[in-house]
Formats: sequence, structure tokens, C-alpha cells
Amino acid sequence: MESRKYTLRIQRNQKQDDGSIASEWQEFTVEGGETTTILTLLESVKGYQDGSLTFRQSCRSAICGSCAMRIGDRTRLACKTHIGSVVDENGLVSISPQRNQPVLKDLAIDIDPFFKKIKEIKPYLLDGPESDTQVGASAYDQVNNVTQCIMCGSCYSDCTMSEVSENYLGPAALAKAFRFVSDPREGKKTERLKSLSEDHGMWSCVRCVQCVATCPKDVKPMEAIVKLRTRGIEKGFIDGVGQRHAMAFHNDITNTGDLNEFTLLSRSVGIFGSIAELGVAFHLMKKGKIPSPFPHKAEGIQEVRAMYKDLEENPLDVETKAAEVEPE
Amino acid sequence: MSLEFAYYPGCAAKQVQKEAASSAEAVAKILGITLKPMPRATCCGAVSLRESKPAFSLAVAARILTEAEAMGHDLCTICNTCLQTLNYANYRFKHEPEILEQINGVLKKAGVRPYEATIKVHHLLWVVTEQVDPQVLQSKVKKPLNGMNVAPFYGCHSQRPGEIFEARKGENVDQLDQLIRAIGGNSVQYDGKDKCCGFHVMLSDKNEMRTMVGQNCLDAKDSGAEMMISPCTLCDMAMGAYQGPAEKVMGKSIDLPEMNFAQLLGIALGVDDATLGMARLHVDPVPALKKRNI
Repeated sequence: MESRKYTLRIQRNQKQDDGSIASEWQEFTVEGGETTTILTLLESVKGYQDGSLTFRQSCRSAICGSCAMRIGDRTRLACKTHIGSVVDENGLVSISPQRNQPVLKDLAIDIDPFFKKIKEIKPYLLDGPESDTQVGASAYDQVNNVTQCIMCGSCYSDCTMSEVSENYLGPAALAKAFRFVSDPREGKKTERLKSLSEDHGMWSCVRCVQCVATCPKDVKPMEAIVKLRTRGIEKGFIDGVGQRHAMAFHNDITNTGDLNEFTLLSRSVGIFGSIAELGVAFHLMKKGKIPSPFPHKAEGIQEVRAMYKDLEENPLDVETKAAEVEPE
Repeated sequence: MSLEFAYYPGCAAKQVQKEAASSAEAVAKILGITLKPMPRATCCGAVSLRESKPAFSLAVAARILTEAEAMGHDLCTICNTCLQTLNYANYRFKHEPEILEQINGVLKKAGVRPYEATIKVHHLLWVVTEQVDPQVLQSKVKKPLNGMNVAPFYGCHSQRPGEIFEARKGENVDQLDQLIRAIGGNSVQYDGKDKCCGFHVMLSDKNEMRTMVGQNCLDAKDSGAEMMISPCTLCDMAMGAYQGPAEKVMGKSIDLPEMNFAQLLGIALGVDDATLGMARLHVDPVPALKKRNI
């Protein structure tokens, strides 16, 4: 493997006496091949250039989840990331701590907020009336992806909702919750869906898919969140803005074909919610942005109604099933 | 190469964001792209329908895709969420033949032509930057941006998950950057360019949504942006129309003109203001344009 020089632009963070964090970028020149890992290069910086550089690491095998940090444009495991795959045309990559949790020093963060949310969803099987003693072969179809989670926090770090909400459960905790909801042995599936339907739970995901793109273990948290929502609606937990909004779509599509944006607001947030939104409504009206109450009607709408009726009478299971995972 | 597409503007572009549709149609005409209407097409259902009625959402998507297929064209849209929803379904139809067969069974019973899974789903932005000859685009520019600093705001649903977007060239999502440079602007690099506009939680998590809008806009502005463009009618609604409400949550003025990519492209190609719906923008772009003598 041909060796060359690379530049690691590392964010150095130091806690001050007043508790604030002083931050500055420092560049280190390192040598390695295209497939040398970021972790190996960080170790060489710590060993030969600056012993005070602080970062977490342990297994070097993408199993322990300790070395998740922002590398380039997203959060990655330093032990799994090849330098050649993340540098710019000048051979430089920026490295900073995970986002959305407090920084302790340099690249190390306080992981308590992340684990607090994991604990909040009760990450263990609960005894209860819905517990099944038979576990069929197909049971693994749904828990397969989510059981690969190594709790590295990468998804939480890149989650666009966690960035603006301290209370949102976040992708990893919701994926873990889905793992229990879809486990036949779980005794309180319905109770779990009820509490996950509350504020800052599964309906607060913005569906940005960042967690799916970021996850180093292919957990696909957002896919799990979408499936949680379907199960929540099926169990009748539909008394929230997110749920009512989602429910509005099939009514409109079978009615005229297009979304009726005029009545969508009152159907999602209710009449009192709509009054609270009046300020925004006036703001939108100034630019003619209040939609027509009579959307365009698609040709052949009776076909859509027939499809809907057919599927209500003869439900089809179209959920994605996880394939067997091959060892990496 | 013939650039003819079945045109699927999406619900927002037919209603609240109709300026995006009139601009897209105008620029397409100038660039030799034919957009043919799809009279049978319904709303795509977005992720919402996937959540509430998973099987019906695939049937709705298949009915839209088969209309384009019957017209003999790939489909082209101007909404990121429609783009992702239709690509997601198309990806499943092409990779899970048993799902396609089951859904086609539903279509047939309802009297709809079965979908053969032969077409691709494009974004007009990708067509403009990847299929239109760059020299043709250059030759049509009447009012170049004169170095204006424009922030590209990509929106989630044209980027992720990467594997479903069959019609996009390569992994790199840089089409807005390319377009900005092609019409004489300078594309601003900022942290928020691939983040979320918050549209889908506009009603359920109001403050969070407005904070997303505010942070992304301020981030772009702090990086020198004089203007922001997006390829998505829903991002336009959030980053443009909701900038006012976002200012209240952030407690400071933002004042960053935001418009659809087709509107800014339309300005560069000399399309008139009425067609581009300039009067419907919440933050007046005129001062920023005047500053650059446009």
C-alpha cells in the first residue's frame, strides 16, 4: 500500500474554569495509506505528536461503539473509516466530537443524555398479557436490523430533530423500542406503542433519513420508526397531530386524488389548534398562499377508490423484511 | 437525446407553491425539455401514507408510475418528497418482484394497467444539470448572477437514502452547486445545506420546526449567502414562507430571500417576474438582485 501525507484538522476542546468550552482547530500531518483507519492515525498523533489529544476507543472492530465522532460531513466510527474515503482533494479531513451531547474534552463527549433515552424506553422484555411463548422463524424478520445496534450514538449525533429538541427520544432509542414491540416474547407491546405515541416520541421524527445514512451497522432507525407508527395507528393511538396528519392522506387521495391543503390544517391540529395557527395563516395569506378548498380532481379516481377498498378487505403485508446478516 | 418526461409537479406545486410549477415549466421550455401532463395522477401520499396504509401507498405509487410508463416516458418531478416516495416504491418494485406482482394484482382488479417497472423517476434539477448540454444552458443565460453568493439547500428527500435514486448520476449531491455556478453565481458552503427544513413536523413540533428553519437560514447567512435556493416545494414553504414565524422563535431577524431553484434559473434565463411568481415570495429578493445588477 502506497503511503502518503494526510492532514487531520482536529477540533480541540478544553473546559474552562467557568464551565464553558474553549474550542479551536489544530492541524496534524500524518502518514498512511488510503485504507489506514482514522483511529490508527489519531493514535499516531497521540503517540508521537501530542499526548494530550483525548478520544475514546476500545475494540478497533466496529463492535464497541466507543470511537464514534464527526469525520468529514457526518458521524462515523474512527476504527471503520478509511482515511482515503473521507479526505478532500488536498488530503485533509476535519474531525470533531459527536453533536447533540455535551463535550468533555477534545473528541470525547458526555454520553449520558443518549443512554438516558435508551433507558427511558425500557430496553428489556417486559412481562405482560401479550407475551407469546412461541417464537416463529419469521419473528427475526423485523428485529434483525435493529439488533445490530452497538449504541455508538452516531445516529443521535446526526439527528436533525435531536439538534433542536432535548426531549426527543432519538433514532437509536426508537429503533430499540421497535425491537421490543416486534418481539413475540414482549408482554406489553400495546402499552409501549401508547407511550411512544406521546409528545417527543415516534411522531416527532422529521423523516430526514439522516440516521439511516449515518448508521455504521445498517440498523435503519427511521425504517423502524415508520413501522412503529404503522403499528401505533393500527392499535388506535391516533389522537396526536402527527397521527391525524398521516391519516388525512388516504382520505384525500381516495376523495379527489390530490391532498386538500385547505382542510389539512384543521384536520391535523383541530379547530383550536387552527385558531392558534391563525397568525401564520394571515402571514401566508399576504402572499396568496392559502390553498383552494377545491383541489383538482384526478381522472379515473374510481380506480383509486377500488384499490383502497380491495386492500381494506384483503390486506397485504408489504413490510420490508431484513435479510440474514452475513459476517463483515 | 430527446428530453421528454411525464410531468408530476406534486400537490404543493399545484396549490400553495404554484410559482415553482410555472417557473419549472418556463425554464423547461427554454432548455428544450418537454414536460407532459399526467391527468390521472393523484397525490403520491408521501411517507404519511406509507405509515398509515403501507400497501395502499405502494398501489398509489404504482398507479402513478404506470401512467408515465404507458405514456412511454420516465417521470420528472419538482418536489423532493414526491421524488423520494416514488423512487422508494420504484426501488422496491424493481428489487422485490413478489411485491410488484401482488400490487399489480390490486391494480388489475381496479382496472389499472399493471406496472412493468421499466421507468426511472427524475428531478427536474437533475435533468437540467446532468442531461441538458452545459453549452446549451450557458447560451440561454441572459442575466448571469454576477457572482452572487447563493446557498444551496438540498432538502432531505432528494439525498437520502442514496441507493433508491436510480436516475441520479453518482453518489455526490452537488447539482444545486453546479447550477449556481453555471448561471454565474458562487455556491456558498455551510453546515445546514443537507439538513432538514422541518416541513414534516410543521404542525406537531412547531417550535422545533421553526428553530430548524431559523438555524439553517442563519447558518447560510453567516456564511455569506445573499440568497437561498432549494429543489423542493416543501423546503420552499418552510425556508421561505415560515422564515417570518422562525424569526419570532429565534428572536432575531433573518431576512434571507429564498426561492425554488427553477425561479432563480428562470431569472437568469430572462423569464418574466409574473411567470416566476416573484410577488409570492415572503422575503423580497429584489434588493439582493439589484445589488448584483440583475
